Amino acid sequence: MPDGQTAVARVQEAFPQAVMQVGSVQGVPMLRLHKQDVPAVARYIHTDPQVLGSLSLLWAVDHRPREARYEICYLFTLAERKDWLLLSVDLAGDEREFASITPVVHAAKWYEREIRDLFGLIPVGHPDMRRLVRHEHWPKGSHPLKKDFVWDQLLERVQGEYAYRKMHGEGVFEIPVGPIHAGIIEAGHFRLSVAGEPILQLEVRHFWKHRGVEKLFEQQRLTEAVPLAERVSGDTSVGHSVAYCQAVETLLGMTVPPRARYLRSLFLELERLHNHIGDVGAICNDTAYALAHAHCGRMKEQLMQLNDRLTGSRFLRGVNMVGGVSRDLSGVQLSQIDAELHAIEQEFAGIEKILFANASLTERLESTGVLSEGIAWDHAVMGVVGRASGIDRDLRRDRPFAAYHECQPTVAVYRYGDVRARMRVRLDEVHDSIRLIHALHRQLPMGPLTTQSVEAPTPGQWAISAVEGWRGEILYVVMAAEEGRIHRCKVRDPSFVHWPAIQWAALGNIVPDFPLINKSFNLSYAGNDL
Amino acid sequence: MFRIIKKSLATGVVTGQFPAAKALSEPVSREAIDKAKPFRRSLTIREVDTGSCNACEMEMNALANPVYDVERFGVEIAASPRHTDALVVTGPVTVNMERPLKDVYKQTADPKLVIALGDCAIHCGVFKGSYAVTGPVERHIPVDVRIAGCPPRPTEILAVLEALRSAATESEK
Repeated sequence: MPDGQTAVARVQEAFPQAVMQVGSVQGVPMLRLHKQDVPAVARYIHTDPQVLGSLSLLWAVDHRPREARYEICYLFTLAERKDWLLLSVDLAGDEREFASITPVVHAAKWYEREIRDLFGLIPVGHPDMRRLVRHEHWPKGSHPLKKDFVWDQLLERVQGEYAYRKMHGEGVFEIPVGPIHAGIIEAGHFRLSVAGEPILQLEVRHFWKHRGVEKLFEQQRLTEAVPLAERVSGDTSVGHSVAYCQAVETLLGMTVPPRARYLRSLFLELERLHNHIGDVGAICNDTAYALAHAHCGRMKEQLMQLNDRLTGSRFLRGVNMVGGVSRDLSGVQLSQIDAELHAIEQEFAGIEKILFANASLTERLESTGVLSEGIAWDHAVMGVVGRASGIDRDLRRDRPFAAYHECQPTVAVYRYGDVRARMRVRLDEVHDSIRLIHALHRQLPMGPLTTQSVEAPTPGQWAISAVEGWRGEILYVVMAAEEGRIHRCKVRDPSFVHWPAIQWAALGNIVPDFPLINKSFNLSYAGNDL
Repeated sequence: MFRIIKKSLATGVVTGQFPAAKALSEPVSREAIDKAKPFRRSLTIREVDTGSCNACEMEMNALANPVYDVERFGVEIAASPRHTDALVVTGPVTVNMERPLKDVYKQTADPKLVIALGDCAIHCGVFKGSYAVTGPVERHIPVDVRIAGCPPRPTEILAVLEALRSAATESEK
């Protein structure tokens, strides 16, 4: 299987006419393509058994006012060695159309609709041209990420109706759920088409919570936007802030001191722990197994109180800053973490025994909400959901960041893709996180916590960063503007990739199992809607 | 079976094992307390997310865990606005959630309380000014109680709920 460079050579060999220029960004090979050739090249990269790339990110940039052009970039992760490969295409002047790759690379579906809504660029050939981010009451021509769109304007309200995919037939009816749900959950809409109990079709309609995060980033300075990154998705405060900081640090030429890198890994693992333990409890709760929910809820609370004592925030907010971390942990605190986690691991192992001994729980979890490996691959699924469906990807191992070069995780992979597999991935990762935290403590180097910026980025320079958060891969692309401001910040929470996939996992399951399937994915609505 | 009993016995009672709340940044107003009187000592809550980052929801959920166990105070989470006494609203009210928020308010029977939870609900927080945000909450519906914080800790939410119940407790004495 090829590395990035070999893949580039193969593409050039297969499409000698398509490639305009070969370059590289941060060591990632980048191919500039002619506009009309993108679908063919994307298809080749995605399907050729010698390359097998899965689409990790697709984003657009409005280069005005410096240059009158839009740029669309495609980031592929190659299957075997997890190398990256970038494609890019320019839309110069008044061009507004680009060729859709969705017919050949399914994972591009939401990205291209998002680009259409936010930039007003048209993905020609896209099978689904309905609005995604901008709901129907948004006025025509309002595309927030165009540079001539004023960030704090008031939008007028127009009439319009979203056309759900209809299913017809005797006894088929629809169940609308949301945007305001029965439990304490974020806002989102699900439309279930059912005949009796089995789900024939699930349509997810989101973006109720679109707050304009990417536009808000553009109003900020590179070094000051960390609080905003922490609030993209509250439960992943550390994941998002580390991803943002890493991208900016690359732009500013900073090398983060070793102690700060270790502390970042440690905070990431603490975040993973309380979320995973909470999720295991919540999955059990959706099968009405209140005992496990109570125990997990108690342990999760214990961990969040620990976070509060360590950093003054139950969500570990404010620990990351551009250039390092703002909070140190003393030897005493580290020993406290060790002792508390040791106790929690013992307790958690006890709960696991109780869970696996419970036949009725297993009955509900097994073969429920199966996401097959094929569908997972088509949607470029990764993270916890991917690893439960046989997709062996973990950025902590594949593209080590923070201190994961020195403290490597053991990656848990299951193949069944059902709710139980997703729970088992979490159970394994809880133990591995605790092991990692102990290891990080043992190896924690002494030294400074922050570093200073050595260079100012030239306007238009950009950096890409990837962090394995507790849900999966968090990607940030940050482009610098004049005077240390942000020109563009693309944020990609793993939820954006997983929401379309959940529509497939629910098919054929009975309605009462849908909340359970949803819980086993536990996706962020805020991180998806931005 | 024995394993479960053993586990429960070994765990014991965890309710109340949390640090004391800091003093409230904004005390609950007399009007709000009086307004809560008809609910006596029980309060049924419906949570409405209008664009929060999910941290406020997590803290609301934490209230129901065995450590805080908010139900012991007669506070319940209702599945429908029609069963509710108080709406807890989080988030800066996005343009897409403005309609659903107003609808929920209309669907809630009088008398009702509205609690704005978190900095976003009170003054839009870091999302202030964005084209996609039309908040804060009080621009759209009357707000009775504000709980500041990003997010407020469960203990702080608990203290406010306690204050709201205090009027009923006084009148029963």
